Amino acid sequence: MTDPRNLTPTTTGTAQIGLSVPNVTVRGPEVPRNIEALDPVFTVSGLSVFYGDYEAVRGVDMTIGNREITAMIGPSGCGKSTVLRCFNRMNDLIPGARAAGKILYHDEDLYGDHVDPIEVRRRIGMVFQKPNPFPKSIYDNIAYGPRVNGVKGKMDDIVEEALTKAALWDEVKDKIKQNALSLSGGQQQRLCIARAIAVKPDVILMDEPCSALDPIATTKIEDLMQELSRDYTIVIVTHNMQQAARVSDRTAFFTAEVDSAGVRHGRLVEFDETSRIFTNPSDKRTEDYITGRFG
Amino acid sequence: MSAQHLKTASGASRSLARSRPRYGEFAVKTILLMAAMVSIATTVGIVAALLEPTIEFFGEVSLGEFFGSTTWGPLFNPPSFGVWPVIVATVEITLIAIIVAVPLGLAAAIYLSEYATPRVRKTFKPVLEVLAGVPTVVFGFFALTFVTPVLQDVFPFLELEAKNALSAGLLVGVMIIPIVASLSEDSMAAVPNGLREGSYALGASKMLTSVRVVVPAAFSGIVAAIILAISRAAGETMIVAIAGGFKSVFTLYPGDEMATMAAFIAQAGSGDASVGSIAYKTIFAVGSLLFIMTFAMNYVSARLVQKYREVYD
Repeated sequence: MTDPRNLTPTTTGTAQIGLSVPNVTVRGPEVPRNIEALDPVFTVSGLSVFYGDYEAVRGVDMTIGNREITAMIGPSGCGKSTVLRCFNRMNDLIPGARAAGKILYHDEDLYGDHVDPIEVRRRIGMVFQKPNPFPKSIYDNIAYGPRVNGVKGKMDDIVEEALTKAALWDEVKDKIKQNALSLSGGQQQRLCIARAIAVKPDVILMDEPCSALDPIATTKIEDLMQELSRDYTIVIVTHNMQQAARVSDRTAFFTAEVDSAGVRHGRLVEFDETSRIFTNPSDKRTEDYITGRFG
Repeated sequence: MSAQHLKTASGASRSLARSRPRYGEFAVKTILLMAAMVSIATTVGIVAALLEPTIEFFGEVSLGEFFGSTTWGPLFNPPSFGVWPVIVATVEITLIAIIVAVPLGLAAAIYLSEYATPRVRKTFKPVLEVLAGVPTVVFGFFALTFVTPVLQDVFPFLELEAKNALSAGLLVGVMIIPIVASLSEDSMAAVPNGLREGSYALGASKMLTSVRVVVPAAFSGIVAAIILAISRAAGETMIVAIAGGFKSVFTLYPGDEMATMAAFIAQAGSGDASVGSIAYKTIFAVGSLLFIMTFAMNYVSARLVQKYREVYD
């Protein structure tokens, strides 16, 4: 498997403007390649998501590889966040929301009757678009997850370990009892990542985690994602194509389509290795999107 | 006025000075200010009206007698002015009311804000607020003619008097449930949804999310609701006058009849205390005391809220 992260080195300090994508697409001969992850954490087949009668996303098939970073990109309203929120059953909290099709999590049906959504969310953590630390101390923010899950053990150590993994410990170790809202936006987002790590999840879902942050804070979060992908499976929804190109192993491109009845649905257009998506996409719509001709 | 400016500058230039006076703006501002002043003026007026008779009262009755004795009978002959019986009755009935209203009101608020579907919330909340619109005289008679007899039948060992602090306190509590529930629900509904999602995403149940995230985040609003409810309970008159009675014997037992400060004021004020008499002045002295008590409580709790509230955004 090629590693796109080595192809497009992470910029430091300043945001990279412009696409590092060739405008001319050269379609080579079909070579067998690694579209599906070999060691899947999630296997999605025929997933459709409904809000009431409205089918927001239709017929998604994809796999999420173990300890890989999978990016989901696409224009607004294409259903990428909706799909992400199926992975930890956050959509259950929206009245009228319902998923059809199948998501296997390590061979277990995520929407099976026996499945407890609370247990699901404990294994599959989530980081949100807007940093959402609780209005409590930094310490209590991290300790919250382990406490509500009845984790035994020395809380001080759990907190330090989570903050260290999220590359925040050195910045906050002297003010651990201060309100988390006194931190900067980027620090708050890393705190939210630390909070997710503290419950020792298997997967971390990130819903546009950098869209409210400045370029420097974004770089730090991206570096952190690289670091975390050694131990965790990460799925990230992003509006920022360069970010997807920089950090992810595989990329799923979604778009919104109007069907024959005139109703808009989110569709998965193409799912492939990130290097392939950004250099040699097989679908015209993907190519238009990543070269900036659309969206 | 603007002719000179029009001439001097080039192109599209006019003076930035106000082109004509805006009297309407001034009038609106004045009217709004006056509306705001009405409530302040009323408060100042009440304090001024209370002050003079109160000072006169303490010219005739010493502070030592007022706070140092437990015999209360300003309307009797000879009168006695030990204020403790009415203070105890007020505090006790307020306490019973709070014990009833805070758990029930908070539970209702958590249900409405966190558990109820939007449709249930839309029907339930107005119904709850209707309870706040029931005339207190209705609660009073309900306590006197229904609650007390039922309590006497079910718990005969309590030896409730026909009028007693317990029934009055229970119904004052019911009366203030809507205040606690409605205002607490408002402040819980104002907690950003992102905090709830953050909690659910960590594997917290709805109950834990409500109790450990939403309620602490809405804490200052909840405390404000409880304070308002306490103030209403302490000042409630009709229920305690009807169901609590007017007897001012010093007792701590809630099964006994006892008069609160508000009940005393209603009784003395509706009687034949002539203006300028000592009984008349006593009304104002008790009123001042009630005013100071509620004011002090509001102040202390405002400070507590400042200290402990969890600010978001």
